[in-house]
Amino acid sequence: MNPVRVAIAVARKDLKSEWRTRELVPALAQFVVLALLIGNFGFQVDTHNASAIAPGILWLALVFAGLVAFGRTFAAEREQASLEAMLMTPASPVAIFAGKAMAATVLLVLCEVVLLPALTLFFGTPLSGDVVAAVLLATVGMAALGVLFAAIVARVRARELLLPLLTLPLWIPFIVAGGQAVQSAMGLPGSYQEAMGLLLDFDILFVVLTSLAARFVLDE
Amino acid sequence: MSRHERWAAGAVALMLVAGAAIFLYAPTDYLQGPVQRIFYLHVSSAIAAYGCFTVVLIGGLVYLRRESLVADRFARAGAVVGVVFTTVTLVMGMLWAKPIWGTYWTWDARLTSTLVLWMIYAGYLLVRRLADPGRQAARIAAVVGIFGFVDVPVVHFSVTWWRTQHPGPVVVNDALPPEMLATFLLTMACTLALAAVLIAIRYRIETLSDERMHMAEEVKVITAPEPRMAP
Repeated sequence: MNPVRVAIAVARKDLKSEWRTRELVPALAQFVVLALLIGNFGFQVDTHNASAIAPGILWLALVFAGLVAFGRTFAAEREQASLEAMLMTPASPVAIFAGKAMAATVLLVLCEVVLLPALTLFFGTPLSGDVVAAVLLATVGMAALGVLFAAIVARVRARELLLPLLTLPLWIPFIVAGGQAVQSAMGLPGSYQEAMGLLLDFDILFVVLTSLAARFVLDE
Repeated sequence: MSRHERWAAGAVALMLVAGAAIFLYAPTDYLQGPVQRIFYLHVSSAIAAYGCFTVVLIGGLVYLRRESLVADRFARAGAVVGVVFTTVTLVMGMLWAKPIWGTYWTWDARLTSTLVLWMIYAGYLLVRRLADPGRQAARIAAVVGIFGFVDVPVVHFSVTWWRTQHPGPVVVNDALPPEMLATFLLTMACTLALAAVLIAIRYRIETLSDERMHMAEEVKVITAPEPRMAP
């Protein structure tokens, strides 16, 4: 079986099931808007400090929305025990993992489609191509790690507790580089080019590592 | 006295010798005063923690390749001892930083990556507690241990690129007077011996708890009710 076609089939299956139920994306969209609301009242935001505060709120909202999204990645498989069925097929576990990661990335990007304009609307920060590019680049690596650890905790008790504890420390490099990129795109000091280069390096490193590890996590 | 008790007594004696060297032999630092004496155990336990997590990494890699129970027990033992030494490093570092830097905490590369290291292996211990013991738990934990080990230099590098103010390595570039260097090397050797003894004791505990679990399973098999004959 061609692994690329398997991955695309798995991703299409996940996206189709999301399209039919329309559960996760509306919930995540509402979640990120609520996070912005909390950010607005937690800080004293005015026109002078908005560009200093907005990047922080953006990453907080995105990180926690990501945790909710990746926590749901294997929910359907767990409830209907269909992961075992998928693994019994000749399809390679790595291709199945890649498909799940692709679908989760698309769902998180859809949530960013709500988050970024809402941030601009509420905080008046620029919605530039630079900001969008930095967020998208961070999403790739975060999704690879998030889905790997979602697969890990899927078979563990108290998975809601464990997913953030395991995933957040590994996301920190993406927050450091992504935070710097968004800050400089919003007019704060710092090198945008360098931060984007670092994000790309982290993406490559963690996508390769998670693909190597996926075999041991899914294979049973 | 059992073998493990003798090792433990030896490790305690070594640490007392190191303590004597730190407080009686090593000279007082001209600039920092007595606070500088924290350095000996602080750096030694950081090195011991890295050593323990290397045991976790190697144990995990060997387990994934060969499914060796011995490797998995070493990984479990290394993680517990490593978290203890990381805690010692962090707490002693904060005690040193307050009088010298004027603050307990600052977001520099070494502090951030040590905190992340602590978080990752505390998470590793939680995985071990929450996953049902057996093959699955060992594999999952091996993956967590390996990712944790890779993540720490990455965090370190990314925050260094951000900014840094931790004192640079003083041992390698010959900045220590000979008495201080001797005290440091002695403390490091003693701390590493302590870590090795702790891992050996923990390994024994893990072996015993594996055996007990195994015995409990056998009892369960024996006492299970006989299946009824089909009519």
